Amino acid sequence: MTLAERLAAYLTRTGAPTTVENLARISGGASRETYRYDAVVDDVRAGFILRRDPPGSLIETDRRAEFLAIRSFAGKGVAAPEVIALEEDGAELERPFFIMRRVDGGMTASPFAPDPFGPHAGAIGDQFFSFMGRITAEPLDGLPILEALAPPAPDACWRRELDYWAGVIDADEQHPQPIVRAAIRRLRRHPPPPAARVSVVHGDYRTGNFLHDGAGRIVAVLDWEMAHLGDPLEDLAWAMDPLWSNPADPRISGMVARDEALAIWSRTSSLEIDPDALAWWSLFASVKGQAIWTSSAKEWRDGGFTEPILAFSGWYTARRQDEILAERLAAMGPL
Amino acid sequence: MTPALPDILTGQAVALMTPLPPEAGGDYLAGRVGLLAMLAGLAAQEAERGLAARVWENGAIRALLAEAGGPPVEADEGLTWSALDAANARLRRVLIAVHEGAEERGDRTLQAEILELYQQMAAARRLVLGGG
Repeated sequence: MTLAERLAAYLTRTGAPTTVENLARISGGASRETYRYDAVVDDVRAGFILRRDPPGSLIETDRRAEFLAIRSFAGKGVAAPEVIALEEDGAELERPFFIMRRVDGGMTASPFAPDPFGPHAGAIGDQFFSFMGRITAEPLDGLPILEALAPPAPDACWRRELDYWAGVIDADEQHPQPIVRAAIRRLRRHPPPPAARVSVVHGDYRTGNFLHDGAGRIVAVLDWEMAHLGDPLEDLAWAMDPLWSNPADPRISGMVARDEALAIWSRTSSLEIDPDALAWWSLFASVKGQAIWTSSAKEWRDGGFTEPILAFSGWYTARRQDEILAERLAAMGPL
Repeated sequence: MTPALPDILTGQAVALMTPLPPEAGGDYLAGRVGLLAMLAGLAAQEAERGLAARVWENGAIRALLAEAGGPPVEADEGLTWSALDAANARLRRVLIAVHEGAEERGDRTLQAEILELYQQMAAARRLVLGGG
């Protein structure tokens, strides 16, 4: 059976007799296979997105946490898509998957494109950092994501994340990386203050991971597969890593200036930004990035060289991240 | 470290020869071809500069280690990508240990030299999207 036939069989078994049309794979991150399709029930057509685990995954992420994180923000004004169904055992599709309603009419912006938003840069930047601030401001009590994850103590957020991503490098590194090792040592020697608030952290909140309509409106925030609970400065620092910005453009990801971005986030999250804490999380963001690209290179090799996005991430992106890390370390000076 | 050029080229060949399922056409296929084209452009840069960058980095680390009184590391055994990378791995392991030692001793001068070397190493391996 084709994937479309298996999907139709699943939808028919769990709902009503359904025909699946126009099933097509789309680029949607390297840690899930992402497909768009139309479901037709009683001549009524609707658009959906299928996110299925690949045979091997770039990042071992919990699709239940991803599903519940998206559900946590349904109708909360942060452009979270509407999730429909989760099948952790894979059902007819053989690998775990979930389904969400498709948001049509949106486009992504490449982190590497010059002036990706043109005259709408300010409006996009305002929404981008406001949505992030609202995610931070959302009280945890009663959120669906708590069904999958327990909140860490405020003073444990940094260590948990650093241990995890340093462990990824330990496990996946295929060649010694002195630059990121030096950064990890520095982070351990100079930990940040406890989180001002423990909140939902999207985990991969950056340009390239949202859809905009080309007219200044963000219509969907995507790629919640690394969502967790922790220090919200993690998201802020990750979004502002120089990796996601054109080096010739002083704006964050071609949107707004750094100070403006921080002001928008601070206003919408109702949190003051501790400069020392943000500095720690900024260096951490580059370590986390290098861990992801290290895994990418390993996955590309172990997966038989079949996914070129993994080669790009494990090669070009890793080298750019090394430059960023080296610049940050030099600016900080000796320990 | 990141993959070496022979791996990149092998991967491109495999990706181009791998048949895709019917649902992986259209935009996905176009994106995949675009990525392969981008990788080809980056591979051209690496073919021109990659070996020289490795020879330079190995020499620079060796010189710093000698100045810092680090242990001797075997010389490069050839000018193939794999031989230079094997030597580079040995040198980088020693460099990591020497850097850790400098931090523990509070040797700020050596730390500063190593941090500057890191910047030079990263710059020497720089790849530029869209040319360069």
